Amino acid sequence: MIRHIWRKDLQSELYTWKGTVWLLIAALLFSFTSYLLLTDKELSLLDQTELLWLLAKIIIATAMLIVTIDASSIATAEFEKGTAESLFLAPMTLSDFILGKLLASLTLWVLVFVVATPYIIVASSGTHLAGFFLGYVALFGTLGVLGLLCVTLALSLLYRSSRNTLTTSLVVLLFLTIPALFGSSLKNSGAVAGFSRINPIDSIFSALDNVLVDYQVRLSANLRFLSPVVGFVVVGILFLLVAARVFRRRGIAGEMR
Amino acid sequence: MTQGPVEKDRLAEAISVVNLSKRYGTTPAVQDLTLSVEPGEFFGFLGPNGAGKTTTIRMLTGALPPDQGSMRIAGMEAGRRNEILKRLGVMPESRGFYDWMTGAEYLDFFAALYGLSTAERRARVDNMLTRTELNPSRNKRVGAYSRGMKQRLGLARALINNPTILILDEPTLGLDPQGQGLIQNLLRQLNSNGVTVFYSSHLLHEVSALCSRIGILNQGRLVALGTIPEILKTTGTQSLTEAFLSLTGTT
Repeated sequence: MIRHIWRKDLQSELYTWKGTVWLLIAALLFSFTSYLLLTDKELSLLDQTELLWLLAKIIIATAMLIVTIDASSIATAEFEKGTAESLFLAPMTLSDFILGKLLASLTLWVLVFVVATPYIIVASSGTHLAGFFLGYVALFGTLGVLGLLCVTLALSLLYRSSRNTLTTSLVVLLFLTIPALFGSSLKNSGAVAGFSRINPIDSIFSALDNVLVDYQVRLSANLRFLSPVVGFVVVGILFLLVAARVFRRRGIAGEMR
Repeated sequence: MTQGPVEKDRLAEAISVVNLSKRYGTTPAVQDLTLSVEPGEFFGFLGPNGAGKTTTIRMLTGALPPDQGSMRIAGMEAGRRNEILKRLGVMPESRGFYDWMTGAEYLDFFAALYGLSTAERRARVDNMLTRTELNPSRNKRVGAYSRGMKQRLGLARALINNPTILILDEPTLGLDPQGQGLIQNLLRQLNSNGVTVFYSSHLLHEVSALCSRIGILNQGRLVALGTIPEILKTTGTQSLTEAFLSLTGTT
């Protein structure tokens, strides 16, 4: 059942001009960044590992943005186009529906990662970090995207409107991203320090900094960054479960009259 | 536990609804609806716009939870939703389609959701496209289908699992006479093969021609239930139109 939903959404979301455009945008962004890092006089003065870290942040941020935007409509389109009622008249559970949508959105992340792979390999040449770079982006990126997807799909079930889901999801993404942009002195002060420690995106960036700049490549050295990201996934899943319960209570037809 | 005679009767019924109610905020949509439909019956569910027909159908199909009351479909409690849906074919009011799919792909997708094998799916899709006269357009995108073709595709989708009970919400609404005739003939054929049909409409001539028994809903309440002659007798009217107008308070 999940497979059929997943395949349908791949056909409608990813094998279309929409999916191609997202991947093209990702490729252009990675090309532009790589070009700047290698040719810009000021940027090229940075240590190569600093450049890798910058590229890693751009890959993660781009993937999160693209996946959030795409996931905002992947479930809500069923309600807005009136296909949800027919879909749920087949013997399918809400879990099948959610997991099918989740897998389709995760596939987009996998494709963005595949597009990023050659950039990672080329940019890491001579550092022996390419494998770790790929591994950590895959691990932290997948967890971060999964957490965001759970939040976005939960919002989709609650709002049943792509516009509201997109707006709220972007606000959540922005809220989580802003502390990652703070300087290290600000991050160490008061409440910001606390928020920074539990912030998943900040933790992803810090882990990549630890691996690519400080050569702390062992997983045990990055567990402290992994826990906030795993926590975010758990919170996302719990939010999705609550949203699914609310959705069931309201019914598939919801407030349609 | 031994079942009493009433409970045994309910098990034998295709659709059995007792005291079903639903409110939207403070507005009652369906109030204390009690009715039953026998297996193999062609039951007409009539009512003016906003009477609660679609809300009732959504509750029957599990798309909307009732506020109170109980239902049995195909002899099963409403809670066994997936088991019920395997025996049920539904053409809902909101008929969204995946416009980017072809007609054949659309039916194949839904057949797959019923867990049919590739060979079974192919056979069912071919059969349904033939019966709804959509075979020549099977490889056309649904987005390019006319309204009538989409209605027929919706009916084909509802029939893809070979249901024993068919629930249809205004299936011929907005169709030309040819389209209406095709759907009516198909429904007659299905009913003569033992399929129970629960047919919601406000097209009185259509209901008179097709249904063996009818229920009339007005402002969420069932105001009449029986065969057409029984209803004409009760209301002291000469035609279903007159009876409908007298029962629904519209002129």
